[in-house]
Amino acid sequence: MSGHSNFPEWVYIGVVVALLCWVGAEAWNVERIVEHIPEDAELIKVTGQQWFWTFEHEDGTKRIGELRVEAGKAYRFEITSKDVIHSFNIHDYVVLLDAVPGRVNTVWFAPMEAGEHDIQCREYCGLIHYNMRGKLIVEEAA
Amino acid sequence: MTPRATPLAILALVLSIPALPALAATEPGEYLDRRAEIWNLFFRMMTVAFTIGTVVSGTIVWLCLRFRESNPKAAPTRYEEAGEW
Repeated sequence: MSGHSNFPEWVYIGVVVALLCWVGAEAWNVERIVEHIPEDAELIKVTGQQWFWTFEHEDGTKRIGELRVEAGKAYRFEITSKDVIHSFNIHDYVVLLDAVPGRVNTVWFAPMEAGEHDIQCREYCGLIHYNMRGKLIVEEAA
Repeated sequence: MTPRATPLAILALVLSIPALPALAATEPGEYLDRRAEIWNLFFRMMTVAFTIGTVVSGTIVWLCLRFRESNPKAAPTRYEEAGEW
């Protein structure tokens, strides 16, 4: 269209593209920081199955439905499933990752204070899904 | 940038995204409170989302009011004046 300026449209497009780039970069950066596992993180193997969680520590200790950790230490969870897809969630620590049969997914966290927190399956996995819970017990550092 | 190069540049950018983790730092990570990191990101994103939402919806409301037929300031466009449209 003659005599019509496209300048405002280009400003609009520029602002939108710049904002999208900023949003993407911020999210990517936080994801990179959060997924960066500390070298001294202790391994805990987490196995989900209908309808309970099993936790296996590096020293071979196994517990069902109860996870005991120490405050001030980092822990790396290797999460898998024996039957259907589950999702391992410690709501209070914003830990959430799917447990998929035949696949090991990794997430880490470092509890700072002693306390008790809920663990819950967050992927509908059958009749007793609602009760596929566990307890995270964070103890004072020894 | 030529019009033909623009989609190619976008395509190159999209295809290069899966390679980004390889560019990430390789030294071990530090202890952090993931709750703080994740919730801070969420609040920053919500600030952006609500700001954009306010600007876009405000612009639409202003456009609707300013260019309504009953607005005393409304004037026909030159195409309407010439009876072309």
